Amino acid sequence: MIIADRKPLEEIQEMVKSCGKILLVGCKGCVTVCNVGGLKEVQVLASILRIARKKEGRPLEVEEKVLERQCDPEYVEQLRDTYDQYDAVLSMACGVGPQFLSEAYPDQRFFPAVNTKFMGGAVQHGIWEERCAGCGTCIIHFYDGMCPIARCSKSLLHGPCGGSADGKCEVSSDIECIWDKIVRKKMEQDRLEDLRVLRAAKDWRTARDGGPRRSIREELVK
Amino acid sequence: MHLKNRLDVGEFAVLVEMEPPKGIDISSMVFVAEKLRSKVAAVVVPDMTAAVMRMSPLGAAMILQSKGLETVMQVCCRDRNRLALQGDLLSAYAGGISNIMIVDGQDLAFGDHHQAKAVDDIDGEQLARAIKGLCQGRDMAGTELLGAPAFFFGAEFNPGLEGDELEQELERLDRYKDAGAGFFITTPVFDPAVLENLADRLDVRQLNLIPTVMMLKSVGMARYIQRNMPHFHLSDQLIRRLQKASDKTREAVQIAREALAVLREAGFKGAMLAPMGWERKLPEVLV
Repeated sequence: MIIADRKPLEEIQEMVKSCGKILLVGCKGCVTVCNVGGLKEVQVLASILRIARKKEGRPLEVEEKVLERQCDPEYVEQLRDTYDQYDAVLSMACGVGPQFLSEAYPDQRFFPAVNTKFMGGAVQHGIWEERCAGCGTCIIHFYDGMCPIARCSKSLLHGPCGGSADGKCEVSSDIECIWDKIVRKKMEQDRLEDLRVLRAAKDWRTARDGGPRRSIREELVK
Repeated sequence: MHLKNRLDVGEFAVLVEMEPPKGIDISSMVFVAEKLRSKVAAVVVPDMTAAVMRMSPLGAAMILQSKGLETVMQVCCRDRNRLALQGDLLSAYAGGISNIMIVDGQDLAFGDHHQAKAVDDIDGEQLARAIKGLCQGRDMAGTELLGAPAFFFGAEFNPGLEGDELEQELERLDRYKDAGAGFFITTPVFDPAVLENLADRLDVRQLNLIPTVMMLKSVGMARYIQRNMPHFHLSDQLIRRLQKASDKTREAVQIAREALAVLREAGFKGAMLAPMGWERKLPEVLV
C-alpha cells in the first residue's frame, strides 16, 4: 500500500490561513490502513485546526468527510453537491487524492494534508517500511524476493557496496543492508552462484523515466 | 576579445554551434574549428543534443579552448545531479571556459539511450542560481569555494511562440535575467519579423539576444520543420527558393549567409549559426 505521513501542523495551517470554512476529506484506502488519513485522523486534525484558530480569535469552520477512495472518480463524485460551499478542501489522501479532486472540481482549491512517501507495508505496529519503488519491471525473483531497487540505498544490482557493515547500510544504522540479507539467503539455500549473473543495465522506461505512466486494460475499456 | 566584452561594445558576435564527436576522433572538429578561429566570436558546444550520447561538452570545449577558440559550453540538467553539475562547472572554468549556456535538454526518449534514467535533480533556473552562487564563492550547500569562477552565462529563448506560451517564455526570460543571465540564444529564427514583433515587449537589441540561424540542408528538412515546428516560422517562400535552386547546397549556404547579414544589419548583438551536421560548410558561410 501507499504509505504517507501527516504534514507538519504549521504547514497545514499556513495553507488554510486565509480560509474561514474548509472541508477536510479523508480516504478509506491506504491512508486509513497506515493510520494517517482515515476517519480517526480526520477527526483529530479537524479538532486541532479548530482549536488553533479559535485561540487566534479567527475561528475556522471545518467539516469532515471520508470518501471510500479518493483515487476513484466514482467516489470523488460524492462531493459534487457540496464541494463549492468551502473556501478550500484539505485532503488527507495520498498525493493522488487531491489531484483527482482538483481534476473533478477545477474551480475549487485543494490542499494536501499528508506527504506521500512510498509503497510498503507494516513491519510492526506503527512502523512501515518501503518495499517497492514502482519501477515497472519487477526483478525481485532474481534476489529471492527482496528488491534491491527499492531497498538498497544505491539500487545496486550486483552485490553490496563497500559501505555495508554488520548488516547495516552506510546511510544510517537504522537502515538494513538488503544485500546482506540477499547474500545470506542465497548462502543458506546454496544458490550463491545466482549472483554471478551479470544483469544488463536496467531499462528505466517502465519507471518514471519514460514520462508519466498509464496502465490500460483493454478488456475493461469500454 | 571575450564574448562578454564583444557584446558590451556592440561588435557583432558570430557564434557557431559545433557538436562534439561521437567517439574520440576530434580531428574533424579541430580541423573546422581552426578554419573558423579568426571568423567567430565563440563556438557553442552542445550538451548531448537530442539526448544522443557523444563526447561531453566539457571535454570538447576544453579541446577547442586549447586550440585558441573561445567557447560557450552548454549545460543541461538531464544527465547530472547538482554535485556533478557544479563539479563540471568548476572544471570548466579552471580549464578556461567562462561562457555557459543553460539548456533544457530533450527527453531521453528522443535520443539513442532510451532505457537510461534521467537525473533532473535541479532545473535550469535553479542551475542559474547555482552558477550565480558559484561566482559569489559558494556552492549550493553554502560552502565556501577555494577560488570563485566568473562565469558569463545565458539561456535559451524561443521568440516564435504565441499567446500564453509566449507570455510564459517572456516570464521565464525575466526570471533568468533576475538570476544573472547575461545573454539569450534563441531557437532557430527563419523570419526576422518574429523578433521585430517582440520589440514592444523586449529591447531585443540591448538584451544580448542572439538569434539562431539554422542551416537548411534539404527541402525535406525544411518541410519537416515547417510541418512540425510552427514556432520556427519557416515560410513557403523559403522552401520554394530551396526547391528551385539547381545547387541546393550552395543555396543553403547562401540563405544562411544572407540571414546572418540581415541580423547584423538589423542591429542585433550577434547570431549563432547551427550547421546541423554541416560543420564543414561553416567556413563557406562565414567567408
